[in-house]
Amino acid sequence: MKKYLLLFVFLTIGLILTACGDSEDATEANGAKGEIDVYTHNDSEEMQDLVKGLEDETGIGVNVLRLSSGEGWSRMNSEAPDFGADMQWGMLHSIALKAENEDYLEPYDSPTWEDVPDEFKDEDGKWYGWSYWFNLLAINTDILEEKGLDKPESWEDLLDPQYKGEIVLPDPGTSGTSYLFVSTIMQIMGEDEGWDYLEKLDENVGQYAKSGDAPAQMTAQGEYAIGITWDQAVYNRVDEGYPLEAVIPNEGVGYDLDVVWMFKDTKNKELVEEAIDYIGSEEGMKKSAEHRSMVTNPNIEGTAEEIEDYLIDYDAVWAEENRDRIMKEWRENFS
Amino acid sequence: MDATQPVNNRLKSSSTIWGRFWAEPWFAIATIILAVAIIVFIVAPVFAVLLKSFGIGTGQLTLDYYKQFFQASYYWDALLNSILSAVISTVIVLFLSINIALYVTRSKSFLSKSFQGIALLPLVAPPFIFSLALIILFGRSGIVTDYVSQLFGGQFSIYGFWGVVLAQIIGYFPIGYMLVESTMRNMNADLEYAAQDLGANQWRTIGGITLPLAKSGIIKAGLLVFVMALADFSNPLIIGGGTRFLASEAYLLVVGQHNLELAAVLGVFLIIPSLLIFIFQTYFLKDSSVGTISGESGSHSVPLSKSVKSFVGTISGLFTAFILLMFVMVVLGAFVKIIGINNTFTLEHFNNRTGWDSLYTSLIVSFISALLAAGIGILQGFLFARKPIPGKKLLEFLTLFGLAVPGTVMGIGYVLIFNGPPFFLTGTVMILVLNMTFRKIGVGLEAAISKMHQIDTSMEEASNDLGAGPYKTFWKVIVPLMVPPFTAGFIYAFMTAMVSISSVVFLISPNTNLVAIYILNLAEQAKIGLASAMSFIMIVIVLACLALLKFVEKKTGIRI
Repeated sequence: MKKYLLLFVFLTIGLILTACGDSEDATEANGAKGEIDVYTHNDSEEMQDLVKGLEDETGIGVNVLRLSSGEGWSRMNSEAPDFGADMQWGMLHSIALKAENEDYLEPYDSPTWEDVPDEFKDEDGKWYGWSYWFNLLAINTDILEEKGLDKPESWEDLLDPQYKGEIVLPDPGTSGTSYLFVSTIMQIMGEDEGWDYLEKLDENVGQYAKSGDAPAQMTAQGEYAIGITWDQAVYNRVDEGYPLEAVIPNEGVGYDLDVVWMFKDTKNKELVEEAIDYIGSEEGMKKSAEHRSMVTNPNIEGTAEEIEDYLIDYDAVWAEENRDRIMKEWRENFS
Repeated sequence: MDATQPVNNRLKSSSTIWGRFWAEPWFAIATIILAVAIIVFIVAPVFAVLLKSFGIGTGQLTLDYYKQFFQASYYWDALLNSILSAVISTVIVLFLSINIALYVTRSKSFLSKSFQGIALLPLVAPPFIFSLALIILFGRSGIVTDYVSQLFGGQFSIYGFWGVVLAQIIGYFPIGYMLVESTMRNMNADLEYAAQDLGANQWRTIGGITLPLAKSGIIKAGLLVFVMALADFSNPLIIGGGTRFLASEAYLLVVGQHNLELAAVLGVFLIIPSLLIFIFQTYFLKDSSVGTISGESGSHSVPLSKSVKSFVGTISGLFTAFILLMFVMVVLGAFVKIIGINNTFTLEHFNNRTGWDSLYTSLIVSFISALLAAGIGILQGFLFARKPIPGKKLLEFLTLFGLAVPGTVMGIGYVLIFNGPPFFLTGTVMILVLNMTFRKIGVGLEAAISKMHQIDTSMEEASNDLGAGPYKTFWKVIVPLMVPPFTAGFIYAFMTAMVSISSVVFLISPNTNLVAIYILNLAEQAKIGLASAMSFIMIVIVLACLALLKFVEKKTGIRI
């Protein structure tokens, strides 16, 4: 008899587990309306807060899976035409253009995005740019001092042999941040010189990280002196009190639109539409502005000021059209 | 498993194996369902990878992808690095396992109990956690690194090949240790006493008697650790610092470049060594036991002499202290703002909804698949040990092979098969459960087979003679006897399912994220605080589950 007790214990645990799950779902006011599945390339912590804004405002429950831009794109390709998510919230502009070409996107004419200039959204409503972001250098001032290194001021400075092994750069194969950097260099210098630059830079790179946020974090922790990363990743950590300084290289930086879209043939069309409406609304944009240097609604100020002068005239269409080729060449040269 | 005389042989005497197979139709049907499931969920994915590596499915047969593999020097590097790190980790794990097992099995003290407990501790954490802890300690600005560079100047860094090796040693140590320890515990001490009586000192006894007797256990442990370290993909991602390893390259090819063909080629190179080792182990490493397994084990083992004891004790002490240190780092990392930089206490890392959601999914999925893996394994063990089944050897081979297939290969195979018609399973909890279950049914099977061999058929015969049919005999005689191996299989499957990543990483979706993968993702963003916090919760939960089972074991008196 005793032996069946064990079986009984298993069953009880199982029941408790499932019961917990049910009651959790039932009592969770957030999920009352239904749930949507979201892919993002945003930083996990930032996304948590953005999602909370949506859930509080609309009552839609959100499940998030974070994938670096490259990962996300290859996942979409393997899943098409049955996507594993209902919408994308946070992705590269260039990938939105690619996805549009592949017919992965569902058009939706959202009423709340009127204030956003046309250049930041698709004319058919297939994608909407909610913020833009740019490359930035994270410099650990403590390490510079300790090792007696100069503060780099430009992209060119990074080639200086004194930085050997002190630079951390994300891998453009997985990270959109890094692809923005690579294509910016190409657009500033021209392609041939761009490749020369990357090859020389490679000498100084201590590590290629997988995600665009990681260099900021690693530099903040003093693992490396210089991280090539994106704006908010640095600003956040400066606010948190790390010995970090943000440096905009004086040749200028590329910027990219961060976009949202609805996947084609999603089963939760109404919910996703509501979510897109929210992101474009004033509340949504204000929430985004807490986390981003610039949002696309011109009436709402982001966290950074007066950086427009440093932005190069970045060509996202070029980046989209040449992405496969450049990535292939990058892999052959560097991986 | 040599078929013992089928119990019902006397009653029906069909001459062919098929006839006898169908004599008990329900068991036959169960076997067929099992066989189909094994083929669909273990064999087919591996074959899919093999076919894909030749480009089948995208066009025609081609060797292009193999050409790409051989032409790119970096894949060679990856292959060499993977094999080299696996060999080094294995050798060191074996050395440590033998030392600690000697101490634990041959002395009875509080210390030996603690060694035992700590040695098994890494089982409850995802293997890459030790990469995180190592970075906290020995990263370029790690706690120890800073200290050392202040004292001696210069700088060293844990990133790279040796970091991976170190993380693998800690992560896969418990697997090797468990096997070595159980061999040493079950060893009859008579020969050792005899050797000492004849004047050999203990060093000679260990070298000449103990280790040779434990040889098969040690080799088995070594092979298992080697296969696991070879298939390791998470440590290279976190601490590899760009050094290439086969499994992580395959993973990046799939998730970063959607190059399933080339990933499949890498998968083939991952699977060849595993397959060879598996075959070697199954057919050439038949327990050549020298008949030393005695009923009462360990009760009168030879106590260690002073010099031996201090040697193995020191090594055990150092290594277990190191393991503890790793865990302390994870716990500290969870509760301070940024460990090593801003050590103010905080609970903010625990406020993480996605983390809790994925933890919940992990618990459900692991629980269900552990139940299934143990249950199916036990049923299979019974059928295979007692019933006449055509093709039994092959099926058993395939089931156990599921344990040896590198997770990355299995994951890619599942993507290839279940991402389109006729099975649309990606993004469902079902596919996670199926994947974890069929990767682990070998555990239940092995536990069941070894138990079945201890049970004499006379009990079943008696039950049959008294008029209970084969099914009633199964329920009333076999099932109660199988509770302990079931529980053992369940625990092992549950723990490994909770921490597994390498194959399920390809199968998750926003709604079905698993906590181990979520932690890996945080680690890739270098978010050590959040990653440590989720790991801490996970470790506590797994330990709590184990404690519950121990409690039940005590209450019911069933030894698990």
